[in-house]
Amino acid sequence: MSTRETTTPRRAGRAGTDSVARKLARNVGVPVLSIVLLFALWQGIVVYFHVAPYIAPRPRQAVLAVTQNWSTLWPLVLGTIRETVYGFIVGAALGIGLGVIMAKVPFLQRLVYPVLVLSQAVPIIALAAPLVLILGFSVTPKVVIVAWIVFFPVTVNVLDGLSHVDQDLMNLARVYGAPRWRTFFQIEIPATATPLFSGLKIGATYAVTGAIIGELAASDGSSLALYQEHANTNLNTAAVYGTTMLMTVIGISWFLLVVGAEVFATPWQRRTVARRRWRRADRSDEEPAR
Amino acid sequence: MSASAILELRDVGKVFGDTVALEPTSLAIDEGSFVAIVGPSGCGKSTMFNIIAGLLAPDGGEVRLHDQPVTGATGHVGYMLQKDLLVPWRTVEDNITMAKRLTGRVNAADRSEARRVARQYGLGEFLRHYPSALSGGMRQRVAFMRTLVTHQPLLLLDEPFGALDAQTRLEMQQWLLQVWKDTERTVLFITHDVDESIFLSDRVLVMSPRPGRVVADITNPLARPRTVDTLVDPQFVTIKGQIMHLLHGGTP
Ligand SMILES: Nc1ncnc2c1ncn2[C@@H]1O[C@H](COP(=O)(O)OP(=O)(O)OP(=O)(O)O)[C@@H](O)[C@H]1O
Ligand SMILES: [Mg+2]
Repeated sequence: MSTRETTTPRRAGRAGTDSVARKLARNVGVPVLSIVLLFALWQGIVVYFHVAPYIAPRPRQAVLAVTQNWSTLWPLVLGTIRETVYGFIVGAALGIGLGVIMAKVPFLQRLVYPVLVLSQAVPIIALAAPLVLILGFSVTPKVVIVAWIVFFPVTVNVLDGLSHVDQDLMNLARVYGAPRWRTFFQIEIPATATPLFSGLKIGATYAVTGAIIGELAASDGSSLALYQEHANTNLNTAAVYGTTMLMTVIGISWFLLVVGAEVFATPWQRRTVARRRWRRADRSDEEPAR
Repeated sequence: MSASAILELRDVGKVFGDTVALEPTSLAIDEGSFVAIVGPSGCGKSTMFNIIAGLLAPDGGEVRLHDQPVTGATGHVGYMLQKDLLVPWRTVEDNITMAKRLTGRVNAADRSEARRVARQYGLGEFLRHYPSALSGGMRQRVAFMRTLVTHQPLLLLDEPFGALDAQTRLEMQQWLLQVWKDTERTVLFITHDVDESIFLSDRVLVMSPRPGRVVADITNPLARPRTVDTLVDPQFVTIKGQIMHLLHGGTP
């Protein structure tokens, strides 16, 4: 299980010793700085080498290509977000379900695992054409493609996590006389939290890519991917770069949201002392705060 | 069986393939006593515990608790290992109440008891800490409190202090004796450490491997309370010699 059998100190007490300003500087300031530096590098290269605008725009032009066409782009962005989020949720649910079933039924694990590996060996782009034939040009084929990409790392990690729950801990639960379903929810599920979120984070990183592939292969007209392709044909390079930036922002935002969910769901990973909870009524015998 | 026996084994044995892990063994444990079990690695000590706890079905024989057959059944003993098995996602308080959470609802009385026990035995300041913030000795104490609040009259402790340094171990031994005296439980205590077995117990069972069996049942006459002076008591040294002799190839 994910119990860390560490004897060396974790970088504990972060929450207690650092000021909010320091934490903000480290966790937000540094990433922002790295993005600013990236843009500076981009600007520097384009200016220094006198790159023609139709080869590569300056950052400002790429941003303007987005902001000036925002009313056109916004519905397309929403569409991509919808495909990403729906696909991710379907993929994550499927991934967790498959992982749990495979962990609990060894026969199914042997039966299904090869098929799952096979599914990931199929080039996604080759999958798109038959999906369109079956499902048409709706949002569904994109959701399927995203789910197809997302479920796999989730399944593998959940299966791995559940198979590595400490057997002595499981035995202890048996000694207490715990029914299996309680052991599952009280021990096995939380013990799998860390690998589960690893799978979800990998899935989140690829989810937008899946949505864009889906849009390329299975769109009937309006989508972010086709907008970009159109701009490319028209040699509107600024719009091509701008759209890429938009896609990246969607991807990063979704990843950060999953990271946020992990931080919220696994406080013990970062804290040494639990937050005070809503369960206050029965704390009357608590020592007075000092 | 004697009237005051809480636990009785009748011809309980276990074979794994070619290994006789535990020869058919019979013994009775008096209610409220502290019985230590010593023996070299692989002599079937943990196997015996697993059978008593119901984790392992014996090849034959019967386990009786309070004169009721409990062979193969779980949920009737407290059980603690060298590994503390605290769950990292629960606070100290919630780890202590874990058995209740695994078998039903944790209510206000359970939480209140957990806090009371933790305060009484020196962990009151750490109730809301996660286990990762605790030292090895503190973690073992939490694991023991978790065992204690199950209210099982019989506690099986399998090398609970085996991973601790000598200093912490001595503190934990004295602490355990204090808790044992306060709570009036029956304790079966496995250890590799002969000193520990004598320091803690009323009675020492010495085991030998292949086939795993109890080769001696020694009554410990040392007076209580035990202190550091106990360790240099002439009687202590006599029993220690006796056990050492049994463990290292002698005949009883
Ligand atoms: N599940 C098992 N399958 C096969 N053999 C086993 C199993 N459990 C224990 N054994 C064997 O039975 C014998 C007794 O094991 P046991 O764990 O009871 O020893 P122990 O006295 O607790 O040793 P230690 O002091 O090292 O903990 C050993 O030879 C061991 O290899
Ligand atoms: Mg053992």
